[in-house]
Amino acid sequence: MTHSLHRSGDIESQKKDFVWFMYQTKGVNDKDIKPKALEFIAAAEAVGSENWGDVKTGPKIFYSVEEIKDRITDKSRLRGVFTRKEQVVEFLKRIKEKKTGMSVVITGVLSEVIPACKEAGVTPHSVNYSLGVWGKKDRLPDQTTLSITTMCGHHMIPPKFVKYILRRVEKNKMTPEQGALELAKYCYCGIFNPVRCAGIIRETVGEKSP
Amino acid sequence: MPAIDPEKCTGCRTCQRFCTVEAIVYEDKKCRIDPDLCTECYVCLRMKVCPEGAIHAQDLEGFYKEFQHVLSDPVETHGVTGVTGRGTEEVKTNDVTGRYRKGDVGLSIDMGRPGMGVYLRDAQKVAMAVARAGFELAPAQDTPLAALMTDLKTGKLVEDCLDYRLLSVIIEGKCKEDKLKDVLKALQAVEHEIDTVFSLGLISRVDADGRCSALDIVEAMGIPRPYRGKVNVGLGYPIAEK
Repeated sequence: MTHSLHRSGDIESQKKDFVWFMYQTKGVNDKDIKPKALEFIAAAEAVGSENWGDVKTGPKIFYSVEEIKDRITDKSRLRGVFTRKEQVVEFLKRIKEKKTGMSVVITGVLSEVIPACKEAGVTPHSVNYSLGVWGKKDRLPDQTTLSITTMCGHHMIPPKFVKYILRRVEKNKMTPEQGALELAKYCYCGIFNPVRCAGIIRETVGEKSP
Repeated sequence: MPAIDPEKCTGCRTCQRFCTVEAIVYEDKKCRIDPDLCTECYVCLRMKVCPEGAIHAQDLEGFYKEFQHVLSDPVETHGVTGVTGRGTEEVKTNDVTGRYRKGDVGLSIDMGRPGMGVYLRDAQKVAMAVARAGFELAPAQDTPLAALMTDLKTGKLVEDCLDYRLLSVIIEGKCKEDKLKDVLKALQAVEHEIDTVFSLGLISRVDADGRCSALDIVEAMGIPRPYRGKVNVGLGYPIAEK
């Protein structure tokens, strides 16, 4: 699936948004994955992954780390987000050292991700490049809404809910950070970036203020 | 599928805010889910969005309703591919499987996203257009949509599924680099014939700088050079290619 690939919004904001994945391959290394998954979680926690989760349980910001760890099965899919290139570099260094043999994917702006790979001493094998959105683009929501909803590529975050949260923040009923966490709960994978989202909300609401 | 109990519904319309595809309609002071628009993503059920508890699950009737749900809800695992939701393996395990080798160009055509949803009749239009241009569609063990194809060489889907709406579904496959221009031209034509959107990904082996020659073809066609990518960093142990 390509649910982390087609994020939208301001490129500078996307440069502070990296998605990490551990992937098992069916029939090859998809049995007894838990010890390896725990290595990925340990590395992610050590470098401060702002959100991560297992799609079979949910995101860290909604479930406890122990609960997610306990529920890991061979059907689990571990993934999360970083906001700084330095985290990506350190994460890759740690995972490389563990020699898990699992596939590792980092999604983000290529001018940030490729140098991070080099710094970590890993060599990109293949890339899925985003060639953008095609078709009836005039029917898409506005750019601000899309920059938030596309952080959950499975589209579990309803556009109307984004508007609702923006209104709540605008009326000082919640902070941008609280709004971002409310939205993040809907992304079961844990790849929604609450830090970037709070920044988008703050900028949007700020722009509308007199 | 999810349904709203009219006895419990107070018509507050809170649920409409949480529907991913605006499938909840308000009529006669009550909300109801339009079965033709609902993609079975189950967000309304899983997140318990109704303050009155009026939304409940009904049995999914038949293969296509179940298919619709499994592909629209990332919590579910597809029985054949073993991947959650509408997922395919694309670039994510390519270091292990060698599915895309040097000289191959893969495309992941993510129909209906971002967020618009897709009727399978539109997925069929796109699949048939690229197949005619020489694109080799991925088989059912690699991608869920192929399970509905009557013929991988044409991309035609079984007739009975065409009016089902999914949150999204991926058309995946590959061609040799010399066919890429024809396949992209086919996509440039068919994008005007569908009633939705698709997000397009181009998959390739790359050099140490993350570059590949297929991007020169893309750029020569006037398609903006991509700045985002999903990078397989090559830490998986290969089985298919050394």
